[in-house]
Amino acid sequence: MIYQPSIFAIVLTFVVSLLFELIHLPQMLSLYRPEWLVLTVFFWTLRAPTHVGIAVGFFVGLLLDVLSGVYFGINALALSIVSYLAVGMHKRFKLYPLLQQSFVAFAIVLVHLLIVNTFTSLLSRGEDASTLFMRAVLSAFVWPILVVVYDRISMALRG
Amino acid sequence: MQGPYLGYRLILAVFLSVALIVIDVRYTQLDPIKRGISTALTPFQWMSDVPSQFVSGLGFLFTSRTEMEDELESLRSKVLVLERKSQKLATTTAELNRLRELLNASRVLDDGVVITELVSVSPDPSRHYITVNKGLADKVYVGQAVLDEYGLMGQVIEVSEFQSRVLLISDDRHAVPVQVNRNGVRAVAYGLGNLSEMQLANVPDTADIQVGDLLVSSGLGGRFPPGYPVATVTDVEYDPGESFTKVRVEPQANLNRSRLLLLVFPNNDDASTEEGAEQ
Repeated sequence: MIYQPSIFAIVLTFVVSLLFELIHLPQMLSLYRPEWLVLTVFFWTLRAPTHVGIAVGFFVGLLLDVLSGVYFGINALALSIVSYLAVGMHKRFKLYPLLQQSFVAFAIVLVHLLIVNTFTSLLSRGEDASTLFMRAVLSAFVWPILVVVYDRISMALRG
Repeated sequence: MQGPYLGYRLILAVFLSVALIVIDVRYTQLDPIKRGISTALTPFQWMSDVPSQFVSGLGFLFTSRTEMEDELESLRSKVLVLERKSQKLATTTAELNRLRELLNASRVLDDGVVITELVSVSPDPSRHYITVNKGLADKVYVGQAVLDEYGLMGQVIEVSEFQSRVLLISDDRHAVPVQVNRNGVRAVAYGLGNLSEMQLANVPDTADIQVGDLLVSSGLGGRFPPGYPVATVTDVEYDPGESFTKVRVEPQANLNRSRLLLLVFPNNDDASTEEGAEQ
């Protein structure tokens, strides 16, 4: 991507992913909700590392903490680490084919969930490993769609 | 680019977030910030509810006239039955209060309630909380009891300007002091993370609790008002090898169905003192 994505596109995608994070899913699916906000932070740290980085990851994490009702700071910690990892790999990542990108997204989401789950299980009660795994798998499935849609949005809104 | 500073930034972010976690676990100073963020997120929660409301609205659109008439009929008859019951209730409450006054008891029955509507449920099914559409603006406070028409639902754990978050009694971090309606045996019912089942803690083998018993809130602990139905006993498992009897109970409230809920404002003006104690 040669063009600079506009701030508006970044904000818009964050708003959309925030809605997806909250929207009601059928009972069966709700356990395996893809991690929209994590993927969005990951996407923008890869595409626009000058705009979105550890600081944005940190603040989006705080939002996620309030939304999910866990102790303040847990998701912020995990998302800071995720965006750190993403900034580190943003040059290589562009060369990966989409399938391989999905695998990396899977690993990234799993890292996020494991950090969050470590803290929540220390402080209150964690979740099953299988649930976390399934959520990461679903996030990986969502990744290619998200890339295509977000790229369209940022192309359309480029300044 | 950010190159050399990246590591430092990460260390800073990690340090900051661990500090936040520790503060949030130990103290309450962060609550105003959290409240501010959740007030700012309120419109998103409203928006996220639109699709499901739309779907249920569609369902409403396609209900046939006869179905609606049937429903109206059954609601009317229900109202009649309830009216009759409430007539009797008014006289009994009055009489009870008179008797209590005779006994110099300070607590007067009949708490005030405010009707509230469920806005969203927890996106994470392993955490049983719901969000309702009344907040600080309606004088909701942390620790307030929430009911539906069948029984106790839970308590308010977080309040923002226009919404508040309610922890359901079935969450596994929640416990409610109860007593058996039949004979007044006291116990504590705690959630298991399962909407249809709770358990009683530390019931002695000799306690007189039977299947079918109604458990009502005992009011001990000062959090919940006394006398509201909480659960019915579904299973009593006595194992001589264990020091306590295992008692499973089923919540009375429709924890996963009720949309209109009641926020209880205790009548005897201890709402403000309770709020003060929470801070």
